[in-house]
Amino acid sequence: MTRCVLLVEDDPRVRRVLHLALQDEGYTVVEAGTGDDGLRALAGSAPDVVLLDLMLPDTDGFAVCRRIRRESDVPVIMVTARTDSHDVVAGLEAGADDYVTKPLVAKELSARIRALLRRTEPLNGGPRCIRTGDLEIHVDEGYAVRDGEQLGLTRTEFRLLAELARAEGRVCSREHLLERVWGYGYFGDSRIVDVHIRRLRGKVERDPGNPRLVVTARGLGYRLAG
Amino acid sequence: MGARGFGLLRRRWTLRNRVAWGFALMALVLGGVLAAASWTLAASYLNRHQEHTAVALTADNALLIEAELRSGERPSTHLLDRIQYSPGSLAFLSYDGRHYPNATAREKKLASVLGVDLRSPTPSRLPTMTSPGRTTVNGSSFLVVSVPLRDGSGNTLTELYPLFDLDRTLRMLWMVVIAGAVIVGAAGLLVGKMASRRMLRPLADVTAAAGSIAHGDLSARLQVGEDPDLEPLARSFNRTAAALERRVHADARFAGDVSHELRTPLTTMINSIVLLQNRRAELPAEVVEPLDLLTEDLQRFRRLVVDLLDISRSDSGRADTREPVVVADLIRRAADAVAGTPVAEVAPGAEGVVLRADKRRLERVVSNLVENAAVHGGGCDAVRVSRRHGAVRLEVDDRGPGVAEGLRERIFDRFARDGSTKGPGVGLGLAIVAQHVHWHEGEVWVEDRPGGGARFVVELPVAGDVRASRAAPAARAETASGSGRSGARVRRWRWGSGVHVMRPE
Repeated sequence: MTRCVLLVEDDPRVRRVLHLALQDEGYTVVEAGTGDDGLRALAGSAPDVVLLDLMLPDTDGFAVCRRIRRESDVPVIMVTARTDSHDVVAGLEAGADDYVTKPLVAKELSARIRALLRRTEPLNGGPRCIRTGDLEIHVDEGYAVRDGEQLGLTRTEFRLLAELARAEGRVCSREHLLERVWGYGYFGDSRIVDVHIRRLRGKVERDPGNPRLVVTARGLGYRLAG
Repeated sequence: MGARGFGLLRRRWTLRNRVAWGFALMALVLGGVLAAASWTLAASYLNRHQEHTAVALTADNALLIEAELRSGERPSTHLLDRIQYSPGSLAFLSYDGRHYPNATAREKKLASVLGVDLRSPTPSRLPTMTSPGRTTVNGSSFLVVSVPLRDGSGNTLTELYPLFDLDRTLRMLWMVVIAGAVIVGAAGLLVGKMASRRMLRPLADVTAAAGSIAHGDLSARLQVGEDPDLEPLARSFNRTAAALERRVHADARFAGDVSHELRTPLTTMINSIVLLQNRRAELPAEVVEPLDLLTEDLQRFRRLVVDLLDISRSDSGRADTREPVVVADLIRRAADAVAGTPVAEVAPGAEGVVLRADKRRLERVVSNLVENAAVHGGGCDAVRVSRRHGAVRLEVDDRGPGVAEGLRERIFDRFARDGSTKGPGVGLGLAIVAQHVHWHEGEVWVEDRPGGGARFVVELPVAGDVRASRAAPAARAETASGSGRSGARVRRWRWGSGVHVMRPE
């Protein structure tokens, strides 16, 4: 089964060459030149992953990202100007799962996509469902329930939660989470973890400002408190 | 006085000291004049008062004696003893050429003391005046008053009043006045010191601001107060600093903008090349070689653009990307990954040390140094991590020819090449190292490695000692500019400001 990438990029030459290169990597590619086109294509072609350039001519890339998030939990990889800009955090907060910077190379992009599309590994012999606090995490089915209601987590948020749950209350370092959830090595950008933890808290905590479930172990990482 | 002495004098006679001592001197002179005046006035008043009293008392006593003599009494010591004198005063009556002393005068053996024969008709050495005079008897001062009896026979009553009490009072007054003058002088010094500090505070602000700018903080400004004397200085200082900051940032932004604009076409080029490389087997043989050349140079070009963007990151408006990092782990991972084999040796003291650092920048520092050793230094020999003086120290040794003394500073400049253009480097690696080390408030330099080769050393301050390491460079700059000894090495390299702080070995 070939994976489908929705490519939202305003520069036609970059769009074209990435189309060709990703095709060479084995993906089917749907092109969109504007944010509106991108949102239409999202509804029409149900892509497995979206590659979204934040510098779009018609709309603010962050706004497009938020609208994608409202409609779908499809993984979004954003293309940002530079790694140290505020764009990275803003884009992640708008709902992106990961980011890349130009010049992008199809091979590296493909590695990012594969990491995001990885399935949550089943627990080895353990229970299919982990209960922690008032939360039920159905690892194999890929959803979490609180008070009998299914939480609207994205795939990445769910995998992050499952990874924390798998540690059974032990502290997970940010490097460990980067590796397990995003497929980065030691030198991945820890802001990705931090922003996702923030997003996750917004959905699983009763009071996200005062987290009781996803707790910070200062200087070490995060853990799930039972 | 030698040059050294002059130097010492000049250092001691700073503007601040001159102002303070000026104040002190003024206060001392003023206090002295006031003290002298008040003492003179008080002394002359007390003396006059004493004389008036003495003359009046003696005149009264003379009247009493006259009255006694008129009533038929004969002149005798007995007669003199019947009169009341002020305590301790000596008296004698000179009558018809004979002298009759009172009891105190007899007791003090006035005659022998004064060396006069009280029986002689003219006691030459005695003052014979009606106006008061002073004489010293046996080391004690006396006020001498002679009053003629009014019988017209030239007989006189002479009294000597001891001045011991008056002298003591005057001495006391003198001491009080001197002490007052000294205190006023000291107060003047204190006021002068305070005034000079206040006066020089704007200057201290300027010094501090200029110092911050010299050490790379281009945003340092002076506060423009309402003082019309200081306002123009503050304004022009701020204008200059702002212009400098704009200029530096514009330079950095230009490089950033250029490389940013290059990244879009670069994306097209790189991906196209990859597509071609994927079909390498289908291409005619004569096309493959130019394709490889193109691929190789495109990789260098990509590296250049990425490096340029990295080095042109302006420090202003940066997102804080610091996080707690186990620095030895990071160095080990980065160095081993670049070298392709375990090269890092961590001393036990450096194990587990946590720094608040930017992982990405620190990784660039390590990988660039290891890469530099591999490309330009004949191979990376060792990467050592140790802990010393509140800092984590990283040493990267290579097997190359070492770095010539004259190049040790320049090697951290952008596009500083050693003449050879082989290898994948684009000439920004060490400049990026310097910039990222500086970003962490650390220091980087190159030295000879014992036994040949070069040793690049990075020292990063451990949290808690950050203040100390910030204060240090200024002092170092001072010693360096003063001595200018050879063998100085680059300790700190500041991007943008272009300030090189040297430290003698």
